Amino acid sequence: MNDTTAGDEHAIHRRETASDRPGVAQPVPKRPVPVQPWSRIFAGMLVMFALMLGAWEWYWRDFGVTPSIRNTDGLWAIQRRRIDNGEGDATVLLGASRVYFDMQLPVWEKLAGKRPIQLAFEGTTPLGYLEDLAADPKFTGRALVGVAPDVFFTGFAYRGSAAKYTHKESPSQRAGQWLSMRFVEPYFAFYDPDYALATVLRRQPWPDRPGKHAFIDVRKLSQTDAGRNTHMWSKVENDPDYRALARSVWAQDFVPSPDDPPPEKIKEMIKTEIERAAKVVKTLRERGVPVLFVRMPSDGRYLEYENTLFPRAETWDALLAATGAPGIHFQDYPELNQDWNLPEWSHLSQADAERFTAALYGVITRDFWKTPGDAAAAH
Amino acid sequence: MVFNCLAFVVFFALVLGLHSLPLPWTAKKINLLIASYIFYAAWNPPFVILLWISTVVDWYAARGLVEAKRQSARHAWMLLSVIANLGMLGYFKYGQFLLDNFTTLMAALGVNYQPAHYDIVLPVGISFYTFATLSYTLDVYLRRALPARNFLDYALFVTFFPHLVAGPIMRPTELVPQFAKPRRASADQLRFGLALMTLGLFNKIVLADSFLSTAAERIYDSDKLPGALDAWIGTLAFSGQIFCDFAGYSTTAIGAALCLGFAMPDNFRFPYAAVGFSDFWRRWHITLSSWLRDYLYIPLGGNRHGAARTYAALMGTMLLGGLWHGANWTFVAWGGLHGLYLAVERVLRAKFAGYRPGPLMFVALGLLTYTLINLTWVFFRAKTFGKAWDVLRGMLGLNAEAKPILTTYFIVSVGFIVGSIVLVHWFMRGRTLESVVARAPAFAISAVWALMAFAIVIAQGSGNAFIYFQF
Repeated sequence: MNDTTAGDEHAIHRRETASDRPGVAQPVPKRPVPVQPWSRIFAGMLVMFALMLGAWEWYWRDFGVTPSIRNTDGLWAIQRRRIDNGEGDATVLLGASRVYFDMQLPVWEKLAGKRPIQLAFEGTTPLGYLEDLAADPKFTGRALVGVAPDVFFTGFAYRGSAAKYTHKESPSQRAGQWLSMRFVEPYFAFYDPDYALATVLRRQPWPDRPGKHAFIDVRKLSQTDAGRNTHMWSKVENDPDYRALARSVWAQDFVPSPDDPPPEKIKEMIKTEIERAAKVVKTLRERGVPVLFVRMPSDGRYLEYENTLFPRAETWDALLAATGAPGIHFQDYPELNQDWNLPEWSHLSQADAERFTAALYGVITRDFWKTPGDAAAAH
Repeated sequence: MVFNCLAFVVFFALVLGLHSLPLPWTAKKINLLIASYIFYAAWNPPFVILLWISTVVDWYAARGLVEAKRQSARHAWMLLSVIANLGMLGYFKYGQFLLDNFTTLMAALGVNYQPAHYDIVLPVGISFYTFATLSYTLDVYLRRALPARNFLDYALFVTFFPHLVAGPIMRPTELVPQFAKPRRASADQLRFGLALMTLGLFNKIVLADSFLSTAAERIYDSDKLPGALDAWIGTLAFSGQIFCDFAGYSTTAIGAALCLGFAMPDNFRFPYAAVGFSDFWRRWHITLSSWLRDYLYIPLGGNRHGAARTYAALMGTMLLGGLWHGANWTFVAWGGLHGLYLAVERVLRAKFAGYRPGPLMFVALGLLTYTLINLTWVFFRAKTFGKAWDVLRGMLGLNAEAKPILTTYFIVSVGFIVGSIVLVHWFMRGRTLESVVARAPAFAISAVWALMAFAIVIAQGSGNAFIYFQF
């Protein structure tokens, strides 16, 4: 194929398509290249692109961001596949972001001699993923299931599609995940969903539309590694303004709004999710898989909100009664109810997450799963 | 594999590298063929078999057509190709739809029929490659073309990865001759090809996925009743999204082919500046509309057998064109509405044959065309008729109890982006992209290209499939 010729000049300005030639064999298309200094244009483009991207990266690093592995469905799939690839007897961690941030996998691994599989997902009920494990005969280990009341008892599933994704993941998606984790994510701080172009534009101070208040979306709160070990981002701990912002995001839910479901609807949702939990725990129990529920710490206005909308007796206690499964509520154990640092009321600081993990492991092995291999005896 | 993913970046770099090596032309074509099968298998490896079946059946059907002595034998070979391709399409795409409708019909007649639910996977691109292979046998049958001289050229025509899964739907006479002699992009073709790929990915990743899809989802995928503003913004968002997604794919495909030295046809020509619906269909998904015209509308008689048959052929073609898009009656309604528009336009053109609109009326008719097109997009996007009626009522201001759904950000961003798309289409309606680029200052081209590339990277697309992959 050649560069633009005299015959192609016509095609640059007026090109016929198949719509202009009915009922005949269509000819080889013309695809002329406009006459321009493409070498200089391409070089100029690369320089400008590199400058813009460099500036963008510098801006976010100045904001305090460092590279983190993205918490994608593909990353979750890597951990989920461990169960089907020889680690079916592993301890699996399920839950919402509290289990995701507060359980430090290296601490558990040091104590237990084996690393658990982290399958928790922020803003997502664990029941969908517990059901996925219940349907997988290869899973014969143990499930530690976090119960964040406003997520668990409403069935909210912000990141609920990972199991389906895992089962249908294509070779190219898997290859893309591999490439991204190795060549992009460890090196670029801007490559976090909180700094995507549309996300940044959406959170600018747009005026409210009458009758429609724009809620602030949850901001970046954590750092994740390739093994899905996650901890709180240091900016939340150390920057008072950012911490206040994080708190204000949660506080949006503490104020009643016209879109909130009525109390009867909430009661119905709680009942539905408890029944759902009972069914899946029964299935797992019949296979000899113990399930241990855990109520991770929260404090301040978040704890008040949870106690008001999801009182313990109607939620946690009812859950344990209906499922027959044991549970650890952080308020029932002095070693788990210490004066922890929860900068935005909902998740532990990195240092306290490590201490909490060790303390929780101690409670679990003392009172529930007495030895790493003694799962059946504890249940 | 999709164009907008890291795996494709690596794949394409390898293919470009291999294509630039000093290898014999046949070896390069084999490389492209293998790469194209890998491209397809990267979605779901076993389904390469279907692609292979379609390729082999039509290769032998076309040879049979040429060697057949009697017309009945020619008919038989043609029917073999049509039945094999449409049979595959029918089973994988419409199997469950037909079963569900049969069950509904039986229930209406008082018969309780409960078949098993088959989880039939829809092979990606099946609607596109079956039409491409069908056009091969049909062109041979209609004596518009001869069969390809060798199987490699024909197989590469079917499988060529830039157009394989979402078009442009190419005819054999457009692509097979390009394989006859060695082709390799010049340096300028490579750079312009990369620029086209950037433009296409900008349309898809930045405009369609990042900005427009969310507004459309909040209206069409929620159970909330939309008021007038929300219904219009959601529908306009979808009109922008489907254009940017699909035209973006086509532009990326054209650019990828150009980087390898091949020419692919235009598939869109600024359709939102169309004046009238026949003009719209000369600008929107050109390769599909011309395929339906050449292999369905014209064989059904076209406009050569009187008014009644013309309208029947028109409506039949548009209804089937709608069904091609998906196994749902809403797509048929979309096609039917376009058929109705085209029929009414024919009547009006005949009645007002001498009328030539002035400039203002020309623009007004264009905007009316765009408005009526948006009404059809409601059926295309809504998953059920119930949702379609909810949105249409909202557009007419009839959902009195509706509460605001979209925030100011969505209203402003959709209004700005879609408004800009329509303005750009009006500016470009009589021009080509190349003619505008030819006159632009070099620095401006560099800057716009860099901005689009920068926006693509910082948009952080998640590799969403193109909308037309589901067809």
